[in-house]
Amino acid sequence: MAPAAAQAILVVGGGISGLTAAIEAAEAGHEVYLVEKNPYLGGHVAQFYQYFPKLCPPSCGLEINFRRIKNLPRLHVMTMAEVARIEGEDGSWQVTIDQSPRYVNGKCTSCGKCTDACTLEIDNPFNCGMDRIKAAYLPHDMAFPQQFVLDPALVKSDEAQKVKEACPYDAIELEMKRKKIELKVASVVWATGWKPYDMAKLETYGAGKYPNVINNVMMERLASRQGPTQGKIQRPSDGRAPRDVAFVQCAGSRDENHLAYCSSVCCMAAMKQAMYVRAQIPDARITIFFIDIRAMDRLDSFYQELKRDEKIRFFKGKVAKIDEEGSTNNLVLRVEDTNDATLHELKMDLVVLATGMQPNTYDDPVPAKSVEYDDHGFISPPDGKPGIYPTGCTRTPGNVSDAAQDGTGAALKAIQSVVRR
Amino acid sequence: MTNKIDPKLMRDLERFGLKDACKCAHCGNCTAMCHLSTPDNPFPRRFVRYIQLGQRDKILSSAEPWLCYYCGECSERCPRGADPGETMMVLRRYLTSAYDWTGFSRRFYTSESFELVAVAVVAGLVGLALWFFNTGHPNWEHADVNSLWPAASVEIADLVMAGILSFLLLSNSYRCVKFIMGDLLGKVPLRIYASQLKHLVIHGATQKRLGECKDRMPWYVHLLIMTGYATVFLMVVVLLNGLGSEGWKFQRGWPEYPLWNPIRLAGYYATFGIMYGTTYAILGRLKKSRPAYKNSHATDWMFLILLQATTVTGILIHVARLVDWPAGTYGLYAVHMMAAIPMLVLEVPFAKWAHLAYRPLALYLVEVKRQYHAEASAPEQTAVAVSPEQGRA
Repeated sequence: MAPAAAQAILVVGGGISGLTAAIEAAEAGHEVYLVEKNPYLGGHVAQFYQYFPKLCPPSCGLEINFRRIKNLPRLHVMTMAEVARIEGEDGSWQVTIDQSPRYVNGKCTSCGKCTDACTLEIDNPFNCGMDRIKAAYLPHDMAFPQQFVLDPALVKSDEAQKVKEACPYDAIELEMKRKKIELKVASVVWATGWKPYDMAKLETYGAGKYPNVINNVMMERLASRQGPTQGKIQRPSDGRAPRDVAFVQCAGSRDENHLAYCSSVCCMAAMKQAMYVRAQIPDARITIFFIDIRAMDRLDSFYQELKRDEKIRFFKGKVAKIDEEGSTNNLVLRVEDTNDATLHELKMDLVVLATGMQPNTYDDPVPAKSVEYDDHGFISPPDGKPGIYPTGCTRTPGNVSDAAQDGTGAALKAIQSVVRR
Repeated sequence: MTNKIDPKLMRDLERFGLKDACKCAHCGNCTAMCHLSTPDNPFPRRFVRYIQLGQRDKILSSAEPWLCYYCGECSERCPRGADPGETMMVLRRYLTSAYDWTGFSRRFYTSESFELVAVAVVAGLVGLALWFFNTGHPNWEHADVNSLWPAASVEIADLVMAGILSFLLLSNSYRCVKFIMGDLLGKVPLRIYASQLKHLVIHGATQKRLGECKDRMPWYVHLLIMTGYATVFLMVVVLLNGLGSEGWKFQRGWPEYPLWNPIRLAGYYATFGIMYGTTYAILGRLKKSRPAYKNSHATDWMFLILLQATTVTGILIHVARLVDWPAGTYGLYAVHMMAAIPMLVLEVPFAKWAHLAYRPLALYLVEVKRQYHAEASAPEQTAVAVSPEQGRA
């Protein structure tokens, strides 16, 4: 057997798949390092308001996972950290981790006094930049670790000292520096997940230009009680509750000019979000523009349920373009109903684009040699070749339960790499 | 209504250049993207469907292929790379051959060797005609075409040719009307046909629908070619012999007109227009600079080559006459005719030139039908109104 230090497993990405892989491997008795870029764990799941099809909140599942972490002394969590370099081969990897300063140490009790003392504001990344927060902040209410963060802009400002003095627990360290951490691990699980496809690239939809054209992740934040509107679904342009809401499916998906593949979750996500609107604005009329509906197996009953709802209309046809009516910020969608080959221009108050999942490895590949990707940036290891194990949406787009199951699978593969030595 | 299916339609259309229509997954993006597609006449996706299903009759009775000017935005934005713009182009070739009762057009479009042989045969016949029918007394002192092939005689040949071509094009156009109007042909009162005639004239003269595309460059280029061509057509068919007056003769003997003579200036305009347009199109097709230029059918090249060869030899004749080089002038004149006549004889009734009749005709018939339906069933339009209503689909 190799020395114990070299039997550790590195999991990169603290979203649902990485979190699951790390916890499962640690619970099986292995030394695990979990590296997360954000100051909190949970990834996109933490941003979601509800899961489909049960419409239950993701917070309870995350809570259970965080609780499991607390019982695992062998699981070392590093937030605000990224992997800078990986060298070696299966069974023996030399890893360099780059950790940004949080400027807050473990003494933080989340009392919030630093926030009160701070006046500087930044765009809130957790809410997709739809609101602004103080530069001394807790990323979100459920954040794990439950520790505040200081934005570098605040640390550089004149206010820094005042904010530091506001802390009664001496938890703020303005001198905290960027850290380089060297690790020796036996195997690596890569779970850096996905991002919504950049909607500014969808020129014909005017996304990013028209305030009332948003994407499906923004819709999650609009519906969430901790979101920019405290859970009120409203038009970004004027705060009015929308009457006609459009969900535009395959916005840049299954499209050779953008993402050529189907992300598999957007249909269900749109239907789920249609239910958010239904629950909150009973007289709102909802149109879901689709090419094909992907609601497989048990999810089909959710689709059937929505089809029976007279406020929800399924419209077969890909929206080709969206124009804004200048003064009202209303939107006009031009679309062909492909069932009867008729051309329509439909006026909407709010448009939610189903932008697909793009793997983060598309722009930020694994900093290691010999990792293979498919045409879209997903890691596609040749069968049976041990090495770096992709999981969750790094491997293929999927929903939360797929990602969690995949994480467990990755944990098993990573363990096999360790015990094979 | 019967709905006949032709399972071989797609394979047949492949002979007209169809390539990617089978990739279409019917999202409808192209139809809603198109600036010219309207609730009354939506296209192109519907036509891709007809092709996939083998609905030949639906295609034959449709005006829409002629409403598309191939700006190519649908092809650029197609999520599947199904190239709907090119599919519409293929349908225009197909319809041109379907309207042609002689069956010549179909062979011309579907066989490259037939196309080449046809051009060669007509060119050869023209050469032979020029060889056998001439005065036999060329002026070797000055470059004077009329000394060898007098304008008056050429004018007669011209008119005979114009008569035959007009007969062919008009009879094909009648079939175009018959196909598009279908059962309505006899039902629509003449009054409506007459009232909408202005559309035929306006669209024929301006091609303003092409100007409605997002990118207007093709319209400007097309206008240049069209006005250049119309100018030279007038001069060749009407003014070749100057209607008997020496001062208006397009085929002038020796010497050439002074620089500012209107006939000479008109010739320059026509030459510039056609040369600019054809060069733009040839370079575009070589570089595949626009979606419409990405797929070049053999007939597209033949059309451009003949048109440009005609123009270039025309320029060279002009130069030879200016330098007063008799042998060069006569030789070039023969070559010029051997390019120009195949272009006219083959392209006008049977191929690409025929669109000059079919496009305005289709637009005109669309208006006729619209007017007829408006009058016949005013409250119940066939088209679905554009409205923000959100009824159940």
